[in-house]
Amino acid sequence: MAGLDQLKQTFFDECSEALQQIESGLPEILGGANSEDTINAVFRSVHSVKGGAGIFGFEDLVKFAHVFETVLDAMRGGKLAATQEIVDRLLQANDVLSDLIGMSRSGEAIPPDHGCESRAALEQILRENLPGEHADNDAPAPADFEGLDFVPVTAEQLQASGGAGEYRLVFRPKPDLLKKANEPLYILRELRKLGRLDLLAETDRLPALAEIEADRPYLGWTGTLRTEAGRQAIEEIFEFVNGDCELEITSLAPEIPGAGDGGEEPPVPAAVEPEADASLAKAEATRSPQSAPQAPIARETSEAATAAQTKAKPAAAATTTRIELEKIDRAVNMVGELVIAQAMLGQVVHGLPEDVRSRLVQVVDEVAHHTRELKDSVMSMRAQQVNAVFQRMPRLVRELAAKTAKKVRLEMVGETTEVDRSIIERLGDPLTHIIRNSLDHGIETPTERRAAGKSEEGTIRLAAEHRGGRIVIEISDDGAGINSERVLQKARERGLIGPEAVLAEDEINNLIFLPGFSTAEKISDISGRGVGMDVVRRNIQDVGGRISLRSERGRGMTIQLALPLTLAVMDGMVIRVGSETYVMPMSAIVECLRPPASDIHALIGTSGMLKIRGNLVPLVQLRELLDITAAGTSSDERVVIVSDAGEGTRFGIVVDELCGHQQVVVKSIEESYGSVPGIAGATILGNGRVAFILDVEKLSDIASSQNVQTGIARFANGGKEIAAVVNRDWGKSGPPRRTEKAVG
Amino acid sequence: MPVAAALKVLVVDDQNSVRQMTRLILEEIGIRYIHEAENGRQAMATAALQPLDLIISDFNMPEMDGLALLRAVRGHPAARKIPFILLTGRGDRELVVKAAQAGVNNYMIKPFTRDILRHKIEQVMGKLS
Repeated sequence: MAGLDQLKQTFFDECSEALQQIESGLPEILGGANSEDTINAVFRSVHSVKGGAGIFGFEDLVKFAHVFETVLDAMRGGKLAATQEIVDRLLQANDVLSDLIGMSRSGEAIPPDHGCESRAALEQILRENLPGEHADNDAPAPADFEGLDFVPVTAEQLQASGGAGEYRLVFRPKPDLLKKANEPLYILRELRKLGRLDLLAETDRLPALAEIEADRPYLGWTGTLRTEAGRQAIEEIFEFVNGDCELEITSLAPEIPGAGDGGEEPPVPAAVEPEADASLAKAEATRSPQSAPQAPIARETSEAATAAQTKAKPAAAATTTRIELEKIDRAVNMVGELVIAQAMLGQVVHGLPEDVRSRLVQVVDEVAHHTRELKDSVMSMRAQQVNAVFQRMPRLVRELAAKTAKKVRLEMVGETTEVDRSIIERLGDPLTHIIRNSLDHGIETPTERRAAGKSEEGTIRLAAEHRGGRIVIEISDDGAGINSERVLQKARERGLIGPEAVLAEDEINNLIFLPGFSTAEKISDISGRGVGMDVVRRNIQDVGGRISLRSERGRGMTIQLALPLTLAVMDGMVIRVGSETYVMPMSAIVECLRPPASDIHALIGTSGMLKIRGNLVPLVQLRELLDITAAGTSSDERVVIVSDAGEGTRFGIVVDELCGHQQVVVKSIEESYGSVPGIAGATILGNGRVAFILDVEKLSDIASSQNVQTGIARFANGGKEIAAVVNRDWGKSGPPRRTEKAVG
Repeated sequence: MPVAAALKVLVVDDQNSVRQMTRLILEEIGIRYIHEAENGRQAMATAALQPLDLIISDFNMPEMDGLALLRAVRGHPAARKIPFILLTGRGDRELVVKAAQAGVNNYMIKPFTRDILRHKIEQVMGKLS
């Protein structure tokens, strides 16, 4: 079977979804909200895994899923109450299920005792609570239920019993019918829609032409109607002319109750009266050898009926289609190209003579508008609800709380907020780490909390929302907050800051983002896994996000993550340095200004400091850093872009010109050039030129380390150069020669 | 004797992999016209529009399960004569009794083999050629 391997993959993909459904559903069962629907959904998920595993021949999976399913089925039927203990066992069972699926997927041999404990636990639940129930299904599936009195119904029998009804019709309009503005022709047409109509017009009452009165009906009709609609449907057609005509509707074949009206009542099954059916079949066969062909119109009406039926149901879950990610990525790429082409078009039109341009501008605007909408909708296809990550957290919190003997409640807000899946994928680890930290270091033990006058149960709140084109995720707790003295002490011990440094509380708190920082008294197996908040920060920054922290001693702390909605398209500021054009992410820009030369001060070990509103900000000379030699603007014309390196540190980037704000499509350069420090990617601008996208923070790191090195080198040179550096005025000295290029 | 290649069959299952697998097996049996639906509601829309010779439906599906679908089919003027085979789990004995009352033609316990599927279809449609 050619497609079998692919089908197995499909099955395993479904399993992953099922596992998630189970994982998120089980705790909800305890919560009690909509628990019936939830249990059903969880049951169905396990059932699907089992069903698929059976078909694809994963016997171990079937056996385990079966026990799992049996317990859920008992809960579903109300025979088993959902206690914390049982739900915990079920969550463990889900882990085993997940293992088994993973092993089946990779083709590993499953150790015979794998999941034995969990299985035994489930079986014990069944034994203890439902003595009659047993989950034994080691035998292969039978073809039939033994001892069940079931006789298959053949298509022929069905045809006979459920066949169409045949009616004899007599319809003779009376004079009033026309006077009331009814038209017999329309009635006949309606009848024909019901099925097969054979009519004979009675013309015997038709007078001579001269005697005909226009508003008197002279014709009558007799005939047969073969229809699958019931008598009621026929009577409805005559509803408005009833009384204004002679009407006879007689059934020729036995009618089926409930037919034609949406089926509240199932028809009598054929299996019940096989003999009667057989004779019916014969009778019908003589009347009409073929099954009644359906007129297309009848199908339309029946479709409309179904539509009406479905409409009446409560709003259903959105239907979904599974699309390979690759296909969506291709669409995203194409849209990216389209955005570029559209920008180019805009520029070309801009350069046209006035008379041509005015005619084109509107069309170009239209194209721009649609392109933007297309981009948004394609991007939304890649979007996923943050719930995909959030749903893993309740369990994490529950387990950690149990381990640390703390009482913690997790609140989640805005789980349906959507964000690009590439970001979702990279959100899991940082979130897990932050929540671990909150629970381990933030939330106090119940005793401590009582002593502090708080409720014993701590709260961790996880909230997501869209704010200004970004997604903001806040993780807050009502724990002890950051102990800034201890943080300061640790930072000093580890030499992260000088012994004399004086820091504001905020700055101290931000020290926890420094590499090599961990305040845990001893490394616990919860948060001390060698991964610090610096890694969390790096993860967030890698996707173009920012992390910030607020802490209030004794009241708790909040960590805020601000992330872009997508990685594929970005808001950028196009800048020029010499002859080179670059793009800087808008998210990195705090403000842009053109300072007078007098505000810029030289300082050893820096490329100059800029004084803004009384604060000194180190400058990064992009021109030097990127080794651009082409002449630029005079020093007074230069622009400083103030950027935020996170944790409150700011620095200024000196450029020649701001060219404008533009949405740019991010293209990776890593495949071709590997990772280039300071360059985040590349894009194509409206004029068709390729521009690099700067990794602003990395640039500042490179600049400061170089500055320190050159500063040290100059000291080592016996201070010869110090004077030159000190005297170096902004812009007057040429770019210093370097032996090492930052980017190259 | 119905010709397998001419039969129009609708396969209803919410699980894509199982649906595809059923399709694969049906194709091995020689059936060429295979429609698919993910749930009862979709199936009903198809049954109302397409001339079908057979519906093979899973029982356990969200929104509208196989039994509800069967009842809807049997109550629908255009679809009610379409033969219906219900797929059940091995524990769904009572379900089959209900399905029989609702007018099911046959049932089949999952997982099934090609031979069983063929046998179950032939019990309803007559020997396939």
